[in-house]
Amino acid sequence: MTYNKTILYIVACTILFLYGTIAFSQESETSPPSNVTAMDTPNDDGSSITVTWDTVAEDSGIVGYKILRNTDAGEFEEIGEQLEANVSEYKDKDIIKGKEHAYIVRAITETEASVDSLQTGAVRATGQWFHSGKIQLFIAMIIFCGAILGSIYLSRNNQEVFVRRIPGLEAVDEAIGRATEMGRSILYVLGLGGVSGPATIASMTILGQVARRTADYETTLRVPCNDPIVLNVVREMVKASYLDEGRPDAYSEEDIFFLTDSQFAYAAGVDGMMLREKPAAIFLQGTFYAESLILAETGNSIGAIQIAGTDSEHQLPFLITACDYTLIGEELYAASAYLSKEPMQLGSLRGQDWGKVLIFLTIVFGVFLELIGVNWITTFLQRVS
Amino acid sequence: MLLTQFSPHSLSQGIYEEVLNWARIITPFALVFSTITLLQTHITRIRRQTEHWQYSFLVFAGIAIMVVVGIPFGPQNPVFEWLFNNVQLPMDATMFSLLAFFIASAAYRAFRARNLEASLLLITAVIVMLGNVPVGDLIWNKLISLTPWADTYPDGSSWMKQWILDNPNLSARRGIILGVSLGVISQSIRIILGIERSYLGGGD
Repeated sequence: MTYNKTILYIVACTILFLYGTIAFSQESETSPPSNVTAMDTPNDDGSSITVTWDTVAEDSGIVGYKILRNTDAGEFEEIGEQLEANVSEYKDKDIIKGKEHAYIVRAITETEASVDSLQTGAVRATGQWFHSGKIQLFIAMIIFCGAILGSIYLSRNNQEVFVRRIPGLEAVDEAIGRATEMGRSILYVLGLGGVSGPATIASMTILGQVARRTADYETTLRVPCNDPIVLNVVREMVKASYLDEGRPDAYSEEDIFFLTDSQFAYAAGVDGMMLREKPAAIFLQGTFYAESLILAETGNSIGAIQIAGTDSEHQLPFLITACDYTLIGEELYAASAYLSKEPMQLGSLRGQDWGKVLIFLTIVFGVFLELIGVNWITTFLQRVS
Repeated sequence: MLLTQFSPHSLSQGIYEEVLNWARIITPFALVFSTITLLQTHITRIRRQTEHWQYSFLVFAGIAIMVVVGIPFGPQNPVFEWLFNNVQLPMDATMFSLLAFFIASAAYRAFRARNLEASLLLITAVIVMLGNVPVGDLIWNKLISLTPWADTYPDGSSWMKQWILDNPNLSARRGIILGVSLGVISQSIRIILGIERSYLGGGD
């Protein structure tokens, strides 16, 4: 009997020993996060430090990570929430600028045990003066600006610059003349862009030219605005155009007015004007969104001659369909040079063309390199951040 | 301002933010001025009794109600929210929904097969439209089942639509975007150098 009890005792102890050994060995298999490094986050204003470590296999037993940062007392404290097991990078944005920070990455296992990595070296975050990820953009900007500036410089000598015929701009006089003959007004819509929008500025340059002609012909020019600042700029601009033409008496401030800054209320207001006043010519120039077709179709329904222009490529099909003439993309920006015929402005158009040639050659060169298995140009351009 | 786009340094970004803040300050003043011009416009309409001048009273009523409800109690006020959700939003939605009818009328004009280009446009439009609805694939599957390639090109309608959008359509759009980008650079240089001043009213 005593013998049996002894055997049972030995077996029980053996099982417990084996269980403990296996459990312990599993625990000890969880290795600490490796290759833990802390570095100043590149291309930022010095407000963060990035901690990285190696990813682990799915069956490693690690269920997450916690990041620890050193304190003034020299100890380490947990920061942020627990990270997922597949994460291998943490950006600490809660640092004190100018102070050195060190980190430990703590791996959390399925049994909620933890294993700490080695402490990283102390790192101080500093702001970068140049964003290295944007170097491609910077080079492109220098090249394009250089091409345009060079062309402007060369055109100072009044060298003749050929500009292809743009029907939409040729039709400006026709539209104004038609409105004058019919004794009806001209409606000029600047779109929904703000005063800082390039398309709005381009639109205002066309409006300036239109205003000069309406001043000459004594045709009513109506400009409903949806941006308060645009309204003020446009009023001053049209007034100056009338003054330049020696017709300040023909200028009516009431014809340039604020309608609303709400997109569809603006569309409804302009549509109402079209249907009530039946302008003979409508200019839709600037930035447009979903209201573009609502405006253009209403203008079409009243039989007005419509000249549109926008850089919103999604709206171009609508405007092309519903309007008589449409300035497509870059034509809108060329309008000022085209209408004024000023040599230096025309020179800038030549610079644009050089830019296009450069882009075209880059595409052809890139395609050729890809075909022969060289992809450095593609990789270089894809790295733009 | 241009160089701040390439410099993430706090000093550079501080300058950028400061300039933006000053620009933002102008907006409220301009909005007050614009509201005054709006009121002036409608006062003139009522005084001259131009066509539909009675509607101008609605403008005054709308402004007065929203100002009385909104300014003392803020935009979170239930009455203000109710007016916004039950008056302005439905009216906006009404205008937006008109777009469907305008698209139909514009499409009718654009897709008439008058010449080769218009015919190509019509065919492309039909493929894209059919590719956007389940019946498109149904028609395609019925047609392709009559050919030996039934298993090779399933869901061909969706595939063709996507191909048109991803290749010819995207190429054309990117071409336009490149032209626009160069146009913006060119215009910006003209303005910075003072070559183009017409948007200021004087000169060319």
